[in-house]
Amino acid sequence: MRRRLLICGSLVAISVTALFALQATFREFPNLEDDHIPVPPDAYERTEWAFTRLMYPSGRHASVFGAIGSWPTDYPKADRQFVQGVRRLTRIHTRSSEQVVDLDTDEIFNWPWLYAVEVGHWSLTDAECAKMREYLLRGGFFMCDDFHGRDEWAVFLESIQRVFPDRPIVEIDNQDSIFHVLYDLGERVQVPGIQYWYTGRIWEKDGKTPHWRAIYDDDGRVMVAICFNQDNGDAWEWADHPRYPERYASQAYRMGINYIIYAMTH
Amino acid sequence: MFEFLFKYPGAVFEKGHFVLLGGWPFWIFALGVIAAAALLLWHVRRHRGPLTGARPLVIWLLETAMIALLLFLLWHPAISIATLRPQQNVVAVLVDDSRSMAIQEGGQTRSSQAARVLDRKLLSALGQKFQVRLYRFGSQPERIQKTAQLTASEPATRLGDSLEQVLAESSTLPLGAVVLLSDGADNSGGIGLDTISQIRQRRIPVHTIGFGREKPGKDIEIVEAVLPAHSLADSRLSALVTFRQYGYAGQKALLSVRDAGKVVASREVQLRADGVPQSEPLLFNAGLAGPKTLEISVDPLPGEENRDNNSVRRVLDVETRKPRILYMEGEPRWEFKFIRRAAEDDRSLQLCSLLRTTQYRIYRQGFTDEHELADGFPSKPEELFAFDGLIIGSVEANYFTQTQQDLIREFANRRGGGILFLGGRFALAEGGYSHSPLAELLPVRIPETKGTFHRDFSSEELTPQGRASLICRLVEDPERNAARWAKMPQVANYNDVGDPKPGAVDLMDVLPAGRHRMPMLVTENYGRGRTAVFATSGSWRWRMWQDHTDTTHATFWQQLMRYLVSDSPGLVSGSTPRAVLPDETKVLLRAEVRDKAFKAVPNAVVEAHISAPDGSSSSVELTPVPSEEGAYTAEWNAEKPGSYVAEIVAGRDKEELGRDVVIFRREDGVAENFHTAQNRELLKKLADETGGRYYSASDAGRLPDEISYSEAGITTRETKDLWDMPAVFLLALLLRGSEWVLRRRWGVV
Repeated sequence: MRRRLLICGSLVAISVTALFALQATFREFPNLEDDHIPVPPDAYERTEWAFTRLMYPSGRHASVFGAIGSWPTDYPKADRQFVQGVRRLTRIHTRSSEQVVDLDTDEIFNWPWLYAVEVGHWSLTDAECAKMREYLLRGGFFMCDDFHGRDEWAVFLESIQRVFPDRPIVEIDNQDSIFHVLYDLGERVQVPGIQYWYTGRIWEKDGKTPHWRAIYDDDGRVMVAICFNQDNGDAWEWADHPRYPERYASQAYRMGINYIIYAMTH
Repeated sequence: MFEFLFKYPGAVFEKGHFVLLGGWPFWIFALGVIAAAALLLWHVRRHRGPLTGARPLVIWLLETAMIALLLFLLWHPAISIATLRPQQNVVAVLVDDSRSMAIQEGGQTRSSQAARVLDRKLLSALGQKFQVRLYRFGSQPERIQKTAQLTASEPATRLGDSLEQVLAESSTLPLGAVVLLSDGADNSGGIGLDTISQIRQRRIPVHTIGFGREKPGKDIEIVEAVLPAHSLADSRLSALVTFRQYGYAGQKALLSVRDAGKVVASREVQLRADGVPQSEPLLFNAGLAGPKTLEISVDPLPGEENRDNNSVRRVLDVETRKPRILYMEGEPRWEFKFIRRAAEDDRSLQLCSLLRTTQYRIYRQGFTDEHELADGFPSKPEELFAFDGLIIGSVEANYFTQTQQDLIREFANRRGGGILFLGGRFALAEGGYSHSPLAELLPVRIPETKGTFHRDFSSEELTPQGRASLICRLVEDPERNAARWAKMPQVANYNDVGDPKPGAVDLMDVLPAGRHRMPMLVTENYGRGRTAVFATSGSWRWRMWQDHTDTTHATFWQQLMRYLVSDSPGLVSGSTPRAVLPDETKVLLRAEVRDKAFKAVPNAVVEAHISAPDGSSSSVELTPVPSEEGAYTAEWNAEKPGSYVAEIVAGRDKEELGRDVVIFRREDGVAENFHTAQNRELLKKLADETGGRYYSASDAGRLPDEISYSEAGITTRETKDLWDMPAVFLLALLLRGSEWVLRRRWGVV
C-alpha cells in the first residue's frame, strides 16, 4: 500500500514538474530516505546555479530500489547539505534547494550542471540517450556517482554507450584542470558510502579501486565526470554525522565544488 | 537683346561700377526732382479739369518720372570698368586632354568639339586682342602650338594642379584671363580652396567652357566603396557601396565583392531613380590573414554605355595579430563559460580571464604567461594596456581601487581599447556603478537605485540599428537576419540600464513580460576607443536551447568581441588617407607612436620599409608633425602601378617601440573611367569664384567680347556713357506715351 502511494505521488509530482517545467522552479519529490529534511525557506529563490538531480528510469534494474528506481538515493539531504557548502565556500549564486529534472522534457537545458546517483542501476531509453547526448554537446556537464564493481559498471555502460557510442571513457589525468580549478586534488582517496559505519570497508562490491573517469568533447573538455567505486553522495549526506570521517566528507565537498566550477568555466 | 537695349554686354554691368560724370552735386539733382514734383502737383491740381479720384495723381506720377529721367541724364550717368589693353596681355587657354575627352557624343569626341570651338573663331578672336598661350592638360599642363596636338589620352584630370602650374609659370607675365575648356571630370576630388584663393588674389578671371552631356544615357557607375583598412582574419566586414545609375530605374543589378577573381559576396539590389546616389552595404568575410586587393563591382546591364566604371578596387590588410581581451568576472556563472567557449572557437582572439571563484581566490584562464596578472586585476597602465579589449562582468565597482577605475577609463580614452560591461547581480546599478567613475564610461544612464537585476526569462529584439549592425548579423540578408533573431531563445535574466546616452547606439532591446522594453545591447565611441553594455548574463540560453550544431551564440559573441578590439590601435599605428591611388603616384604615410602607457612619443625614429610590386624595397623616414605630438608623416612616390606594403617601424634609444603595416595600391588607367558626364557644377563654380563666366560650347562665341573686362594684367579704365542707351529712349517714350494714352481714354486731350 505504501509503495502504491509512493508511485502515485511520484507520478503526480512528475506531472506537476512537467507542467511547470518552463518556469524552472523548485518542486519537492517524495523522500525515500529515513531522514526528514525540511524545505528551506528560500527554496524558491531564483539563482544562477542549483543542484540539479537527474530523475532517470531504472527499468529492469529497479528491483533493489522499488518501482521509483534508484535516482532519489540520498535525496534530498545530500543535495541540500552539499549546496550549503557551495554557498559557504564559493561565490556561486546557489539555491538552497535542489532541482529535479528528467530527460523527457527540455527543462534540462536550463540546468547546464547535472548530477545522477546510482547509475549502476539506470536504464535510459533511446530517446533519453539522444536527449542526454544533445544536452552534453550543447555544453551541459554531467556528474555521476555512487556505483561500484564490475556489474554496476556494465549497467552504466549499457546506457552511456548509447549516449556516446564512439567516445572513449578515460581516466582523468591528475594534471587535468578539473582537479585544480579551485582545490588541488591531485592526491585523492576513495570516498566510502555509509556502509563504512557497519563494515569498516571503504569499498563496495568488488570496487576496491576508485576511478575518476571522464568522457571528453572534441575540444578536450570534460562532458561526463564519472565517480566510480566511490560515494560522494553519501559523504555529502552524512558530512554532519560524527561517525562519518571528516576527511572523506571534505574531499567529497571539494570534488563536487571543483566539478561545478569546472562546468562553469570550461 | 540685352546688348541691343543696354548698348554693352552684361559683363560690363557685372564688373564695372556706376558713376555720375556731371559736375553738380547729387543733392541738387534730388532737390530738382522734389521741386519739379511739387510744381507739377500744384499744376495738376489746378488744371485737373474733369479728372477725378486717383487719375490726377497717375498723371502727376508719370510727369514727375519723366522730369526725373531728364534731370538724371543731365547728371551724365556712366559705367567705369577696367579693360585689358589690347596686345599687351596674355590669355592662357587650357584644353582638357584627358581620356574622358575622347568620349563620342553626337558623332564627335569632346576633344574635337573643343578643337572646333577654338579653331573656328575663339583662338583667332582672342589672338586679335591678346597674346594667347595654348596648353593641354591632364595631370599637369603642357604648352602646345595648335589644337592638332590634342590627343585626349591623359590618364587623369587634375584641374586644380594644372591651374596652379599655369599661374606659377605666368607669374611674371601680364596674365589677363584664363580660358578653360573641359568636361570638368576632375579626378582629384575637386579644386582646392588654396588654388581658388590664389587665383582670386591675382584677380584672374577663369572662364570655363563645358563639353559633354551632363547626364549619361544608360550607365551605372560606382561612386565610392568604403571598407575598413584593417581587419582581423575571418571577420565579417561590410563594404558600403555607393553607385549612381541612369536609364535603369526600377531594374535589378548584382553587387559583388571579389578577392583574386573569386566572388566572396554578392547581392541583388533594386535600382532607384536616375542620378540619385544609392548606397548599399555588402557583407563579406575577410578570410585568411594577408594583404588583399578586393574588387567591388556591379554587373554590367544590357546597353550600358560605359562598363569601365562598374568596378573599383580597394585594399584590405587582414591582420595576423591576435588581439587580447581581458575578462574580469566577479562570480562563477554560465555566461562566463559560454563566452569563453565562443572565444576559444575564434582563432583570431585570445580571451584571458580572471574569475573570482571564492572571496579570496581568482581563477586565471587563457594566459600564456603563467605569471601575468597573477595578483589579479592590473593596477599599472602597461599591464592593462597590453590588452586590446576589456570585459567587466558581475563585479562591484568598489572591487576596483580608485587607481584601477581611472585606469579602466583611460583604457578606452587614451589606449583606444574597447570595454564591454555585462549585466549581472553585482554589475551596473547593482554594483554601485552609478556613483563611480565607471558611470561615465557606460553608454547608458544607469538608474541610481538597486533592484534592477531580474532573473526572468525575457525575449529580445533587434532595433533598426541592430539589424544593420555587424555585431548582430547572424545571416547576411537583413530581413532573414531579423527573422532569425525573432526565433532566438529567451535570455535568462536582464538588468534595467536606463536610457542610452546621446550619441550611443541601441542595438538590441529586452522585452520583459508585462514591462516596457528596455535597452540590452548599447554601444558608443568613447575617447579613442569604444564602450558597450550587454545588460544580461543570460545569453547562454542561446547556446543551451538551440541544436548543438547551431553557431549563433558563438557568432554573436565573436562579433561582439571583434567589435571591441578590431580598431584598438597598437603602439605604432600606421595609416594613409588614400589607400588606392588612381593614376596618382604620391602617397602620404602617417604613423602615431605611443609608449607602453600609450602616451605620445615625440622623439621616436620612425621609418617605413616599403615593398614594391616588383619585389624591390626602399625606405623613407617619417618626420614629426609639429602640431601633433607623437604623429609622424612622410610623402613617398609610388613609381610603378600595383600593390605596396609599407612596414612602419618606430624606435627610441635603440629600443623598438612597435611596428605596423600599411597597404596601398597605385592603379593606372582607371581614373578617367569615372565621372565621365560633364561636371557643369564644378566648372560654373570655378568661374563664379574667380570672376569669370561659364559658357556652353554653343555660346562660347561671346567669350572674346566679354573677356576684355578684367582687373588682372595690364588694364586701362574706360568710362562708358549710359545716356544714349536705347533703353533710356524707350523709357522716355513709354512715360510720355502712357500719359497720352491715359489722357485720351479719360477724354482730357
